[in-house]
This record gives sequence, C-alpha cells and structure tokens, in this order.
Amino acid sequence: MKWLEKDSFLFLLPAFLLTIVLVGYGVMMAISESLHKNGRLTFQYYIDVFKNNNFIASLSYSLWIALVSTFFSMLIGLLITRWLYYYLKSDFLKIIYWIPMLFPHFVWGYMMVLLFSQSGWFSSLAYRIGIIHHPDEFLVIIKDSHGIGIMITYIWKETPFVILMLLPVYHQLNHQLSSVVKTLGGKDWDVFKTVEWPWIMPVLFETSIIVFAFILSAYEVPYLLGTTYPKMISLLVYEWFFEGDWSNRPKAFAAMLSVTMFIFSIMMAYTSLLIKKRYQMMKGNGK
Amino acid sequence: MTRKGTKLIFFFSILFLVMPVILLIVKSFSFSWKWGELFPTTWSLKGWQVLLTEPRLWQALQSSWWIGIAVVLLNLLIAIPAGKTVAFHSFKGKRFFELSFILPILIPSLAVAMGLHMTMIRLGLADHWLGIVVVHLLPSVPYTIKIFHSSFERIGPHLENQAASLGSNKWYSFYSIYFPLLVPSIRSAVFLVFVISLSQYALTALIGGGNVITIATLYFPFLSTAKEAVIASFSLIFAVLPLTVLLLFELLIRIFLPYRKRNR
Repeated sequence: MKWLEKDSFLFLLPAFLLTIVLVGYGVMMAISESLHKNGRLTFQYYIDVFKNNNFIASLSYSLWIALVSTFFSMLIGLLITRWLYYYLKSDFLKIIYWIPMLFPHFVWGYMMVLLFSQSGWFSSLAYRIGIIHHPDEFLVIIKDSHGIGIMITYIWKETPFVILMLLPVYHQLNHQLSSVVKTLGGKDWDVFKTVEWPWIMPVLFETSIIVFAFILSAYEVPYLLGTTYPKMISLLVYEWFFEGDWSNRPKAFAAMLSVTMFIFSIMMAYTSLLIKKRYQMMKGNGK
Repeated sequence: MTRKGTKLIFFFSILFLVMPVILLIVKSFSFSWKWGELFPTTWSLKGWQVLLTEPRLWQALQSSWWIGIAVVLLNLLIAIPAGKTVAFHSFKGKRFFELSFILPILIPSLAVAMGLHMTMIRLGLADHWLGIVVVHLLPSVPYTIKIFHSSFERIGPHLENQAASLGSNKWYSFYSIYFPLLVPSIRSAVFLVFVISLSQYALTALIGGGNVITIATLYFPFLSTAKEAVIASFSLIFAVLPLTVLLLFELLIRIFLPYRKRNR
C-alpha cells in the first residue's frame, strides 16, 4: 500500500481539520478541565461524579432509555425493511419514510405531547370511547418517571432512519441466494441467517451505535418530555456547566467524558466482535 | 410476506408517519380546541397571526436560514473531496481516516462544544454566528461524508479516467461527469444538513449564548409560554424552511447543470 499522495491529502485536509483537529482539540480541552484542580492533576472530579447520586441516577436512566429506544428502532426498522424493500425501490413510496426527517427531534417530541399527554388527542379519544371521564385518568406518558414519552419519541423518529440506512443494503443483496436456501429446504429464518445477516450486520452495528450515542447524549427531547428527577445525563451536565460560580464545571466535563468513554467501549466491543466474525468467515471459506 | 400483509404495513407506516403531522396542521388552525373533542369545532388563523407578528421570529428565521446555508456549503466543501478520496484511493492509514470521520457523531457534541467554549470566547467566536456554524458542523459532517463516500463508490472512477484520456482537465471532468451524477446525493445532503442545523438547540444556546437567536432557541421559551395553536404553527415552520432550501436548490441545479436529463 502506498502513502497518501499530495492531491489526496489536500482533498482530505478539510475533513481532517474538522474531525481530528477540532474534535480532538475540544476533547483534549475537556479532558484537561476535568483533570485539573487548582492547577494540580487529579482524578477527584471523576470520583466525585461517580459518588454523586444524581449522576448515577441520570446515567442509568439515560442508558436504559437509550438501550430500549435503540433496540426497538433497530428491530422494527429491520422488520419493515425486510418486508418492504422490494416495494421501496420507487422513490415515491420511499418519501413517506423521509417525512420524520423533515422535523427536528424536539418538534417530533411536541407532536407526542399533542398525542399522548393527559389533555392530548388519545386522551380525548379514550373519553369519547368511554374509557375515561376526566383527563387526569389518562396514563401519564409524557413527563413520566420511566421516560416512556422519550422512548416513544425516539422509536417513532429513529425507525424511519434505520429503514433508510438498511434499504441500500437490501437492494444490493443477491436475492437469488435466498431462493437457493428456500429450494434446499431452508426456512425464512435460515434465509435471514445465511444470506442477509452477513451483509447487513456491519450496517446494523454502525446504525445502532449512531442511534445509541445520539440518544444517550441528547438534550432537546428529554428537556421537553423528561421529569425533574431523574434527569437525562445531558440535562444534568448542562446544568452543572452553567451554574453561576462555575465550581461544577470540571464535574460537567468529567460526566460528559465518562459518557464518551462508555460509548467508545461499546464501539470497541462491537468492532472486535466484527473482526472475529470476519476471521471465522474467512476460515470457513478456506476449508 | 403476503400481499395483504404488505398493504397493511404500508397502511400503518403512512398512518404513523403522517398522522402526527396532520394533527400538527389541524392544531395550528384551531385556537380553541377543547379536551374531549376529536376534531376542532371552530377554525381560526389566530395561532399563525400571533406567531407571524412576533418580531423576534423574523430575526430568528433570518439567522437560522443563513447559518443553515453556511453549514450546508461547508459540509459540501468538506465532504465531497473527502468522500471521493476515500472511495477511490487506497493509502496507508485509510482505516484511521474512515474511523475518524464518524467520530463527531460518536463523541457527544455537547462534550466537544463545552471543551471548545473557552477557546471560542477567546477567539471571539462565541456569541457569534460563525461559532455556531462551526459547532453545527460536528453533528452533520459525518453524515455528509458517508453520503458522498457511498455515491462515489457507486459511480466509480472509470468515467473520469476516460475523460482524462480524452484530454479533459480535473475540474471540467468533475463538473461534467460527477456533478450531474451526484445531484441526488447533493440534494439529500443539503436537505439533511439543513434540518440538522435547524435542530440544534443545546449547541446553539451553548455557543450562541443567547446573543444569536435561531428558531430553535426561540422555540423552547415559546413552549412554556405560548398557546398550543401558536406552538403548532411554530413547529410547522421547522418543516417549511428546509422545503424553501430544497426549492432554491432545484432552481440552482436547473441553472448550473451542464446538460438536461433527456429520459428517466
């Protein structure tokens, strides 16, 4: 393999400046802020953060919401893509899955308020049908302590994203192989496992980590739909960051970097799993 | 999958994706829609009136629009060359570059923006639209590079090689070969990036510090003070703005495209 040529280097330079220099600089500054106390190097802020009950509650709450939302978005997105990819070759039908892309997440969140809040449309519907007689009797889904409203918003909004990410892979798949599996007596599940899975796995992994990272560190939707306790992690960090006397700023950095490390460790686990799988497949072909 | 089942999934997809939007539209035209009524009994333009006579809205619309346009242009400038290089060339450290391009969406952008905050204040970028443009690049560029990476891979380098052997220079090859083929990708990138830029509340408030009002930073105070019909109208503005950009894009493409599509 050769070194980067001069032309290509110039082509990559702007992207390099943004992703490595700007992001790298931002992270380095954040790390430095989180490790210095009165000019001395210390892990004190990390210890403080992990001893802080608010932080632990926020972290587990955020992780729970991010995991559940990611899992269901991926699952529903995958199922719909499998069923519909053949029909979604036409751009006209694909457009309906672009609709949620038109709105910011917090506007989608507001639509959930209109639908699911105690004075919302579903509550009115329940009244008309005769299930409830008063808005207070409707289930608390928005601003509830379990984060159900947040999860509904994300699943609703991310599922179309998953579909749009998976569609190109399904369109490129060699579907004659599926017929081969079927002729040899394979079931639907065998088709999925042997033909589709090896192809979609990398995209599935990549999409899920993007969605997971996004939800875990999101601010806007939990601001709109969350409760005061527990808060999602970004809200807590934002609060610490802007508190008047700045004394909590290093803690804000330590908290956000801990979340970053969490995302990275998941990504590392994913990558090593992928490489192992690839190695196994190579060995399998060699026999 | 049976035909009936397919139709059913389509039906539910449309229901799920269109219903919230329709509810929003109806809500924006009904000033007094009481609980217990499935449809509003009276219609009114008051929600839109209150919104459109808000002077800060027009200011916010302008700054959002120009910030969004700047973010879109920078995205294209960064991502098209990068996507092309990664798609066509192999070199040492390519995996490293590819991995680094996805970093800004894996590392929470709030962490990066908080880290940049002090430096931005020192450079005078904080409380300024320029600083906002820079932080809006973080959540958008990775997607744009992805889009162009895969579209260059799909197009392939062969056409450009042919043009080169016929004596065309690099810029003209790009303009006459890749540009027309890239139009669908540019369209989705423009749309996606503009929406991402409009969606940033936390980053904009953090770096803009309340001095630069965008429609996202104006929307949140509205949520706690304005009537539902006003908020619903405001929500729809978020969808109208990207459509105006798409319209502008189609117009520009018609002017700059080297040749018209004859069939298809």
